[in-house]
Amino acid sequence: MAGAKKAPALGPAVRKLAALPILIVVATKRDDGSVQLNPVWFMLEDGFIWLNSNTKRTWPKNLQRDREVTMLLVDPKQPNRYAQIRGRLVSLIPDPKHEFIDRLARRYTGKDFRVLEPDEHRVTLKIQPVVVTGDMI
Amino acid sequence: MAVELSPKMQAFTQEVFPAIIGTNRKDGSVEMVPVWFEQKDGSFWINGGINRGWFKHLQRDPRITLLLIDPKNMWRWAQVEGRMVNWADDPGGDHINHLSHRYMGRDYQNPRTGRIKIQIEPLRVTGAIDGWR
Repeated sequence: MAGAKKAPALGPAVRKLAALPILIVVATKRDDGSVQLNPVWFMLEDGFIWLNSNTKRTWPKNLQRDREVTMLLVDPKQPNRYAQIRGRLVSLIPDPKHEFIDRLARRYTGKDFRVLEPDEHRVTLKIQPVVVTGDMI
Repeated sequence: MAVELSPKMQAFTQEVFPAIIGTNRKDGSVEMVPVWFEQKDGSFWINGGINRGWFKHLQRDPRITLLLIDPKNMWRWAQVEGRMVNWADDPGGDHINHLSHRYMGRDYQNPRTGRIKIQIEPLRVTGAIDGWR
C-alpha cells in the first residue's frame, strides 16, 4: 500500500451502505499466509472504520501483526453491488468498560452487549480507509 | 486433504446468495469480491473472466477462502478455507449460464466468451453453521 498518499473520503453510496446495520467482512492473513474472513460489527465515524473484538480472537491478532486489512461491504438488496476497502490499523484502543462494544451492540441489536466473560477483554480497532474499489465508489 | 461437508453445510450451500472470496495479492494484501458459486459433490465451483485479478492470484497461490453468509440473517455464516484444484475453459459459457439460472432464474445476459470455471476443494470449514470450531 505504499504510494497511497492521502486517505480517500468514502463516497456517498458507501456511506449510505455503511449506515445500515449490516456486517462488514474483514480479511486478514493467518500466520501461514492463508486468508481469514470474518463478518463483524462495525461503525463508520469521523472517516474511520471502527471494529471491536475479544482480544483472544485470531483476526485482531493478524491485524495487529500486519497493520493492514481488506474489508468488504455488500449491498444486502443487490449483492452484486459492493465496496472493497483496503485500510490501515491506526490504533488499538482497550475497551475495559465495554463502552464501545455496547455502542456497537446497540447499533445492531438495540441493546447493550452481553455481560463479558470473567476473562474476556475487548479492544477497539480504529482503521483508516486507504483504497476503495468496487462498483459503489 | 479435502474435508467432507456436513449435512448442515450441504444444505446451507444449496441456498442462493453470492460467496465472498478472498485471494492473496502479490503484495501480500487480500482481494475480496462477491461471486456466484455452486457446491456440487463436495467441491465449490466459481466462474470468472480469464483476466480477473483474483484468477491471476489463484494461479500463483491456489489458496482461497470463501465466506458464505445469509444476507437475510447475518448470524448464519460459514468460512471455507480451500484450494483451487482445477480450472478449465467454459466454452460457450455453459457453466456461467448454469450459474445464472441458479441466481437469476434466466439465461446469462452478458457475453459468454473468455470465461473459465474453477473447482475449489474445501480444506476446513468454520463458522456458525457447523457450530463454532
